[in-house]
Formats: sequence, structure tokens, C-alpha cells
Amino acid sequence: MQGALPPPSPTAASAVISAALTETNVRVNSDFRGDQIVLYGAVFDPARRPSDVVVIVRGPDQPVRIAKKSRIGGVWINSRPVVFQGAPGFYIAASTRPLDDIAHFAVLRRLEAGVGHLAMHAPAELRTETRYGVRDVVVSSLGADYLDWRNAVVRLKTAEHLFAVNEHGVRFVDRGLFRAEIPLPAEAPIGQYQVRILLFQGGQPVAEKDRTLTVEKVGVERGLYLWAHRRPWSYCLAAMAFALAAGWAASSAFRRD
Amino acid sequence: MDLYLPIAEVSVNAPLLVALGALVGFISGLFGIGGGFLMTPVLVFLGIPPAVAVASMSNHVAASSMSSVLSYGRKRAVDFRMGGVLAAGGALGSVAGVELFRWLRLLGQADLVVALSYLIFLGIIGGLMFWESVGAILRRRRNAPPRPRPDRRPPWLYGLPLKLRFPRSRLYISVIPPILLGAFVGVLSAIMGVGGGFILVPAMIYVLRMPANVVVGTSLLQIIVTSALTGVLQAGRNQTVDILLAMLLLLGGVLGAQLGARASSRFRAEELRALLALIVLLVGLRMGLGLFFTPHEPFVLMSGNG
Repeated sequence: MQGALPPPSPTAASAVISAALTETNVRVNSDFRGDQIVLYGAVFDPARRPSDVVVIVRGPDQPVRIAKKSRIGGVWINSRPVVFQGAPGFYIAASTRPLDDIAHFAVLRRLEAGVGHLAMHAPAELRTETRYGVRDVVVSSLGADYLDWRNAVVRLKTAEHLFAVNEHGVRFVDRGLFRAEIPLPAEAPIGQYQVRILLFQGGQPVAEKDRTLTVEKVGVERGLYLWAHRRPWSYCLAAMAFALAAGWAASSAFRRD
Repeated sequence: MDLYLPIAEVSVNAPLLVALGALVGFISGLFGIGGGFLMTPVLVFLGIPPAVAVASMSNHVAASSMSSVLSYGRKRAVDFRMGGVLAAGGALGSVAGVELFRWLRLLGQADLVVALSYLIFLGIIGGLMFWESVGAILRRRRNAPPRPRPDRRPPWLYGLPLKLRFPRSRLYISVIPPILLGAFVGVLSAIMGVGGGFILVPAMIYVLRMPANVVVGTSLLQIIVTSALTGVLQAGRNQTVDILLAMLLLLGGVLGAQLGARASSRFRAEELRALLALIVLLVGLRMGLGLFFTPHEPFVLMSGNG
């Protein structure tokens, strides 16, 4: 997805970035209330050029179904839901400065850096038409409102703490040494997360590192989750048998007094 | 103490849920209703995904109804034959309701139908019940004799075929009205995450003309069968039953239901009905009136990938 990095200036050795997560496995158990992932890293640049660091954490992709409310006969009713593909289930972009100050729109768009640059699209709404004699022009049935829909996805996901932009989430703590904190809410989806650490110099990404973070259910939570999804019928019968037995037990316990 | 729920995938405060379960269980035992119409909105308000709340509630409703029906059964206040006929209808209704709910979720209209059902059914039932019970209270204050119950038996109820004797209810009527009533309540149970007692009890009294002493116990029997089936189908079909959530609610719910059933003998029937009517009306208005106000946020994320 990322093109070749532009060649560094021939006079200086190129900059290198390295980073590590303090925790690579987030264990979701019964007292999971979200987590704070700390990332440390260092920039090695003999030429000491001004550097910016951007950390992008991306959870597993989850299609988003979104509907718009419209007023019909005095009642607010949902329109037909629109499905956006390519939206991550969790996304945070932390940086040393506002992203727009670090690089240009096109660079950010190519790297999908920032919630505004996520490559989300609604394939079911697309169709091709011939317009002004040009064949196969892709148009969306959402039309001019497309941006409204896209912004709504970002706004609602942000409200659920699943999308975030932290313009000062990466701090240089010592010369070349930086630190970032990634807040992970309890609602964060389970799965493999991609952590991409990018070094920007002069508006261009000059080095990058990729790390992975695994969020997984463990213990009883994992057992119950797998049971419910792999053997739903035995799970539901057991749940109901337990419920009825609890009702019966309470009734007999209270019988005497 | 917070607890992470494996299916709902949210973290909740466990003692709060147990206390809520107990409160709803108490109300359930007091009025002889499942209490789902109160609990489901509260769970959604606490941030549990609606699909999970509706499905997990059916487990809770089944358990607290089980707990109360045994107490009523010992007092010989359950008409098992009538309960069986209602439950047969309820089974049909809940199968249809679970499928209907799935289809509504695909269309993105589940929220609307749930809110409208709450507004319409709770509004009508609560309004009628409030009117009737306040009238009864006022008549008693004025020492007027209670209005005699019209004993005119509606011909449509007695003219239908497939008649069956219900000795405990002292009725000899067609099975068609109870089956239809059961099926209707079964559909509501799947869509609204309720047992349906708030509709069943008045319908049994005013439509089927069952004696008041067996109505509550018999309705609970029907509710157990319907909600047990709904719970099993929801979990099997949609994987939305959170067993931990159900357990927490149960813990408080079964105890609360016992205390409520005991407390119910200390109140006058019409005062209880007036109180219940108020609760029903408030919940219905709270759930439904939102549809008429301009929303702050014109867009809404739909749960599930459908």
C-alpha cells in the first residue's frame, strides 16, 4: 500500500526509527475495563533533521452499517442502512503535531493517516454510468451527501471511543526517544491490531516500523464466547436450563419461611 | 466491581445489575408480571447492545416467572390446561417473532418497531389500566358498591368451534381465542424482550373472562414457555444471549420475585393496578416519544453486520 520512500538526501545517512510496545497481548478477562498501551521508540538520525512521529493503531476491519433518520408522517424513521467497507473496528492516530502540519493531504491520504483519510467506501451504493460521453464513471447513489455519511461514520465511531485522533499523543521524552500512549476502550474489538510507527521529515515519510498487538479473550470469557458461537444450541439450552433451575431453587428456598 | 460481559462485549457494574435485577424481580412478583418491559429499556440505557438485552432478558424472565409460578402453583392458582393452550400459541408466536426480528434488523427498522411497540402497547394498556383502577379507588373512597362485572358472555368467544373445558377457570370455551392471544404475546416477547404479562393478564380477565385468582399464575406459566423458547431461539439463531448478564440479573431477580410475591398480599388490588399502570405508561412514553422529537444526531450506527 505504501509506495517507495523518497530517496534521502545523498549527503546524510538516512534516518531510522525503532519502536516497541510495552504490551503486545491484551488479555480480555472478566475485569477488563479497557487498557492503556504504552509505546516507546527512538529516532536515529545523524543529521538531526526536525522529525515528527505518527503512530497509527488499526484494529480488525469491521463493516459499518449506518442509517439516516428522516421524518415521515411526524415520526423519525431510519432510512435503508448503508454499509461502509474498509472501516477499521478501532483506529487511533497519535502524532507529535497536528497531522495537517506534518504532511500534505495527498501523503496523509495515501497512508490513511487520520480519520478523515480512511479508505472507507460503500460498494453497494456504487454503480457505473456514462456521463458526458465518458463510459464507466463511478457514481454513488448517496450522491452529494456522500461526505455527510462518511463524516457521520467517523463522528459516531469517535463518540464510542473507537476512532480517535490525538494530535499530541506522541511526545519526545529525550533527544530522539519518544513515547505514545494508546487508550484501548472496553468496547475495542477482539483481534489482531496493526501498529504503524512513521517518521516524517520535511513532509514526507522517511522511515516506518510495523508492530502487531493482539487483543484476545482469555479464561472464562473466551470459553463462553467460543461456546456461544461454535455450539449455539447447546449453549442456549444450558443457559435456559440454568435459568429455570435458578427460579426453581429460589422458590424452594423460600418455601419454608 | 466491574465485570466484562463476553457476548455483549461491554464492561458493566456487577452490583448495580444485581440490584436492578432484584428491583425488577420485586416488581415482577408484586404485580405478577415478567418485568421485561422495565428491564430491557434499562439495560439498553446502560449501554448493553439492544439485541443482546432483548435476548438475555428472555432468560431472566423465564427464571423469575419459574420462581413465582411455583409459589402460585402451591396455592392452586394455576390453570395448567389453559396455560398449556396459551403456551402452544405462544410457541408459534415466538418462532415467528424471532424470524420477524431478524428481518427487521436486516431492514434497519428494528429500533423503530421496538419503540413503536412500546409506545402503542404500553401506552394503551397503561392508560386503560390507570383509568379503570383510579375509578375503582374513587368508588371505594365514596363507599359506592363496586361496579358489577358484566357477566354477559360475548358470543364470538362462545360461538367458535373446538370447545374445551377448563375446570380450574370454570370455563367452557373454544381454544381459538387463547391460542391467538398466546401467539400475539409470543411475537411481542421476541420483538420487545418482554414476557408479555402486561397484555396477557388484562386480556385473560376482560376477553377470556377467567377468574382473577388463577389469572396471574396461569399467565406466568405461558410466559415461562414463551420466553424459554424465545431465549433458546435467540441464542441459537442470533448468538445474542449473554449468559453472564442473565446470571447477574437472575441472582437479584429470583430473590426479588419471592419478596414481591409476599409483599403483594399487603396492598389492595386496585392500588397495585394503579401503580403498575403508572409505571407502564411512563416506560411506554419514555421509549416511544423519542420518535417524535428531532434527533440531535441524524445518523445512527446499526448493530450487527446483518
